[in-house]
Amino acid sequence: MGVKRYLLRLLSRRRFEEDLEQEIQSHFETLIERRTARGESIQEARRAVRVEFESGEQVKEKVRDAWFGAVLEATLRDIQYGTRALRKSPVFTLIAVLTLALGIGANTAIFSLLNAVLLRDLPVRSPGQLVLFGPGAWVGSTETFPNGSWQLFSYPFFREFRDKNQAFSGIAAVDSILLEPHARIAGGGSMEKVQVELVSGSYFQALGVEPALGRVLTDGDDRTPGGHPVAVASYSWWNRRFSRDPGVLGINLTINSTVYTVVGVAPREFFGITVGQSPDLWIPLAMEKQVSPGWNGLEDRRFQSLYIIGRRKPGVGAAQASANTNLLFKQILREYAGPKPTAKDLESIRRARIDLTPASKGLARLRRQFSVSLWILMVVVALVLLIACANVANLLLVRAAGRRREFAVRMSIGATRGRLIRQLLVESGLLGMAGGALGVMLSWGASRSLLRMVSPNSQALPIDVAPDARILGFTLVVAVLTVLLSGLTPAFQATGLKLSSSLNEGRGLVGVSRNLLSRGIVVGQVSLSLMLLAGASLFLRSLANLANVDTGFDKTNVSITAIDPIAAGYRVDARLESMMTQVEERVAAIPGVEEASFVFSTFGGGWTAPATVPGRPKSDDDPDVFHNIVGPGYLRLMKIPILFGRALSPRDNAASRKVAVVTEAMARAYFPGVSPIGRSFSLGNNPEWQNLEVVGVTKDVKFVGLKQNAMPVAFYPHAQHGMFLGNLFVRRKGNSKTLTQEIRNAVHAVDPNLPVSEADSLAEVVDGTTTKQRLVAQLSTAFGLLAAFLSCIGIYGVVSYEITRRTNEFGIRMALGAARAHIFRVVIAETARLVLTGAALGLVFALVSGRWVQSQLYGLKSYDPLSIGGALIAMAAVALLAAYLPALRAARIDPMAALRCE
Amino acid sequence: MAKPADLLQGTLDLLILQTLEPGPLHGVGIADRIEQATHGVFVVGPGSLFPALHRLADKGWIEGKWGELESGRRAKFYSLTPPGRAQLTREKRGWQKVRTAMSQVLGEET
Repeated sequence: MGVKRYLLRLLSRRRFEEDLEQEIQSHFETLIERRTARGESIQEARRAVRVEFESGEQVKEKVRDAWFGAVLEATLRDIQYGTRALRKSPVFTLIAVLTLALGIGANTAIFSLLNAVLLRDLPVRSPGQLVLFGPGAWVGSTETFPNGSWQLFSYPFFREFRDKNQAFSGIAAVDSILLEPHARIAGGGSMEKVQVELVSGSYFQALGVEPALGRVLTDGDDRTPGGHPVAVASYSWWNRRFSRDPGVLGINLTINSTVYTVVGVAPREFFGITVGQSPDLWIPLAMEKQVSPGWNGLEDRRFQSLYIIGRRKPGVGAAQASANTNLLFKQILREYAGPKPTAKDLESIRRARIDLTPASKGLARLRRQFSVSLWILMVVVALVLLIACANVANLLLVRAAGRRREFAVRMSIGATRGRLIRQLLVESGLLGMAGGALGVMLSWGASRSLLRMVSPNSQALPIDVAPDARILGFTLVVAVLTVLLSGLTPAFQATGLKLSSSLNEGRGLVGVSRNLLSRGIVVGQVSLSLMLLAGASLFLRSLANLANVDTGFDKTNVSITAIDPIAAGYRVDARLESMMTQVEERVAAIPGVEEASFVFSTFGGGWTAPATVPGRPKSDDDPDVFHNIVGPGYLRLMKIPILFGRALSPRDNAASRKVAVVTEAMARAYFPGVSPIGRSFSLGNNPEWQNLEVVGVTKDVKFVGLKQNAMPVAFYPHAQHGMFLGNLFVRRKGNSKTLTQEIRNAVHAVDPNLPVSEADSLAEVVDGTTTKQRLVAQLSTAFGLLAAFLSCIGIYGVVSYEITRRTNEFGIRMALGAARAHIFRVVIAETARLVLTGAALGLVFALVSGRWVQSQLYGLKSYDPLSIGGALIAMAAVALLAAYLPALRAARIDPMAALRCE
Repeated sequence: MAKPADLLQGTLDLLILQTLEPGPLHGVGIADRIEQATHGVFVVGPGSLFPALHRLADKGWIEGKWGELESGRRAKFYSLTPPGRAQLTREKRGWQKVRTAMSQVLGEET
């Protein structure tokens, strides 16, 4: 049975069944008709036919057996043959399976991550109906009403919108900040950090999430501010902290002196609405002030810190939902503006809008960050797989060439070409299956390492990358494609032979077309590998450029300790300040510690507001100033050089004049042409932040990211601004293992109730902002090297094979006086020609595709000659190395032995 | 019921090919023709006929096309393909050999 019929049969099974049914029906009716024509009644005729022959069903079964039984039998036989054939050449099988496993495994691993971050829907009811109000890009709180698309909302707005809306069957609010307070669990001795998401009472119903245990929050849990001390635990926290003990229900948690009761556990797969976050507890927004003292947004329409997510009613389309939402939105805004809105108010109401964003996959934070990187990597691994396929195809070609006589013999005794092709495809299918199975296993381990690589700090992101149905389906499709890609051409090639010549063939004649094909494959492999290597070196050099960016401070040897004064019951007053000063002094006094300072912002984000300078007109172009509140030793600790004036000092305290040290960029932007020392500025209307005197100017520092240009930054002493600062920077002199414990002891000597935990070091925090670049650089390098390695195997295989085939030729040449060095040169020169052709092609690929990754590069162009040249040299070197051994073997051919072989 | 196919592998296939030599026939027609030609020795039920027809079609020796009976009923008509015709010639020759050999053996005995 030919391959085509074989596949057709499997595909058209239904049509076949219908056809058979009709045919048998017609047959039986003809038999019955014949009897009725003889005068029998129709019942008699039917019975007689039924008695005489089997039933239609039995006949069909027999036909099916004849068909599919044959297929099954043939397939089993092919598999048996295939296994035997593969077992006979274990080295080939091992190399092919490993090659495929690496290729398929890399694809599955990257796809697992891509699936989890970019493709998977939230595990909630009908996620397609969910929409987010605004793009959900901001995190934090804002007091200004945006002049365009809104994305953070106040609790009063949420409440009013929820009560008046027509388009949504459920609306929920979620605080944009994941809080990390310390909690005393079930009256335990120590405090533990917990991640708390503040949500509206409607949250679980709107998402359609049912509890795994107990109950979820309801609207009734979110009515009276401060009156609903209940919490729903996440499944993973329940598992981690309570080993899934159902006794968790009713347990008490103390957070900032409020006692909460655990009323339920969320289902296993539910992690909230933000991929990459996994809150431990959900607590009603009514408890905002109790969980996060200092926040008081329940009645304040200017305190905008919430995301709003809605579920469209069935039958309400996206356009209708958007129209309804914006209509109601503008009504509410007009109310805010009061009975007599100014022209400016009306104008900003006209411009304000809510863009409804599809939220079936949850908030897009990780997606925005990683989507380009992940797609780049997906393309990279697809190319690696292509190279792997090419390798296996080449191996199969070589192998098939060695089996020409076997095929010729089989065809001469009656095997059809289709039969042999099927046999060969089954062999590559077995290789593909084995490779795929091994690949899935590899990827399982690899995807966890990948997850750690995409995580910005030492904690792996809580994302589930275990293989699911979609991932396994993906792997299956990839494996089948692999089999077809690598097996089809060799199978057709190997069986398309002239019988007589193949049977007579020795080693003298070279199958030209086969050789062209495998040479072509090598050229393709080299070109793709070069492209991947060039990409990898571009990404590596970008990363190096980022790592060498002058941050303006010294990130090394600075550890960060998290301290939670709120949990220890502090309020913003003199006691807090005195505690902070004492902690800084005591920690700085530890031997091996140079300096210690509390800070507000570590690196990567912060608080911004424009400054106003007396006598200087305000302009819309004024750059925002980043503000950091720090201890007196901060600038010295960070080794930020002072250019003019002085640093902050312990003498800048609550009693003295409020001061600030600013960066050069701030001086340039706000005090152009004059010395800023002794001048003053203010921030907004807050009385706390008026008339701040500039006492020093520092060199510029990076504040939010490494790619950012110099931005205005100002530093203020915490002694003059009461505020909770949770991070203690400590500069150490050397590496002391006991330092963490000594810092803890020093803090507890000041106040034993302060929860203390070690956070990532400053270097880790800074490096965490280049996670994405590091991911792409490291992986593309690994895959580029893998590609080059696979190509080398390809080159080695093809060159070796050709030498075997040309043993005669070389023998004759040598007999006629060719030197061994000459033979060596011939082989190397021929390989070099292949490699150079491939490299030229690869260069074109690299230059063309480079444009697509330009946005991912830093400090160099996509045609960076150094990167591409380096890749070229590396590729050429390893390729020639791969040809070296076979060439050496060619040069060592014994002419007598070679000629005797024939 | 006689099951000729069990008696000698390929006998039924050969009979069907032979039956189709003059021209296309439908299933009932084939069964009738075999029964008549063998004077009722071989009665071919649908349980043997259809698997055999499909086996032959699968090998590409015969092909089936839908057509109409005199009664107006739709039925599948089978006809020999050129490879089928070649196969018939080959099988006949093979059968001839077997028959000659068999009758020589049996003839000596009788």
